[in-house]
Amino acid sequence: MSAAPLSSTDDRAVASASPAFARPSPNANVLLIGAGGIGAPCALALGQAGVGSLTVVDADRVDLSNLHRQVLFSDRDIGRLKIAAFAEQVAALFPAMHVEIIRARFTAENARDLLGRASVVIDATDNFATRFLVADACHIAQIPVVHTAAIRFRATVIAAAPEGRPCYRCLFEDLPNEPAPDCGTAGVIGPVCGVAGSLAADRAVRLLAGDTSATGVITTYDGLRSTLRDVVIRPRADCPLCGAAPQISTVESFRYAAPACPATPV
Amino acid sequence: MHTVTVRIPTPLRTLTGGADEVTATGATIREVVIEMEGRFPGIKDRLLDEKGVRRFINVYLGDEDIRFLDGLDTQVKGGDQLSIVPAIAGG
Repeated sequence: MSAAPLSSTDDRAVASASPAFARPSPNANVLLIGAGGIGAPCALALGQAGVGSLTVVDADRVDLSNLHRQVLFSDRDIGRLKIAAFAEQVAALFPAMHVEIIRARFTAENARDLLGRASVVIDATDNFATRFLVADACHIAQIPVVHTAAIRFRATVIAAAPEGRPCYRCLFEDLPNEPAPDCGTAGVIGPVCGVAGSLAADRAVRLLAGDTSATGVITTYDGLRSTLRDVVIRPRADCPLCGAAPQISTVESFRYAAPACPATPV
Repeated sequence: MHTVTVRIPTPLRTLTGGADEVTATGATIREVVIEMEGRFPGIKDRLLDEKGVRRFINVYLGDEDIRFLDGLDTQVKGGDQLSIVPAIAGG
């Protein structure tokens, strides 16, 4: 049986009912930062949506402990670079999608280059320092961004429009300087990552279509109650990134120094 | 003194015996947190520091972030719902 078409007749019928789900422009590039538990299901959803170009940034190797949630990898991939195994799987499933892989961490030094041709950015990273860096860099470059995270039974998704107001810093002001739930030891349930990745892809496709209706809220998935909830984020007048007198106009590495990560989450 | 409902995020449910929602009493959000601390020791420290609500946690009264109201001094009324929304970073 040949590979499934990228968009079935039914898909097109549904898409025609809402411009938000129009097929993305073939020139649109999605920059996915993080090829982990959220990045994998997100890439699958982006491929199914017809995204033409995907750039994946990650520097880690596949570990046995990843396999329950990082659905593009199998035990044969243990020890390989995630981006290599990731690209193989995505290319096999979506041969029409151009996939570029970059072995790197997203840093203050390379942020500008990595954002260079991105139409939308998906922040699927695993630490607060990079999340704030991505938020700052995207706002400065005026690129829409989707922040998505998961821990234990909980996932959150926040989308910011190109003008970036409200932004990630309107909600979470700065890096935690005390115990915060960003440790691998806190664990995460695999399907919760799947929800986070799918929601992030949905937000990215909408942003590519110019639909900003899903910005300005934080969407939370509670895997124990099986509930999705949107709560409005209001722009903060004193936000250091997007407020009336912004203090952040460049990305400097000192601003993203992560505190030591203790084992006890919030 | 009013009774409100507080939605507890999963990371804090170890302090509430697994309950995802609890009732609490107080006239302000500060009083509600203090009243909860009496029954769920440790929860106040997880929510507040010396400056107020910890910066990676957001507390909502209904759909309003309390930072845009009167913060911890925001008055509550019977039947209100408080939500605790912590930042998470796992990916």
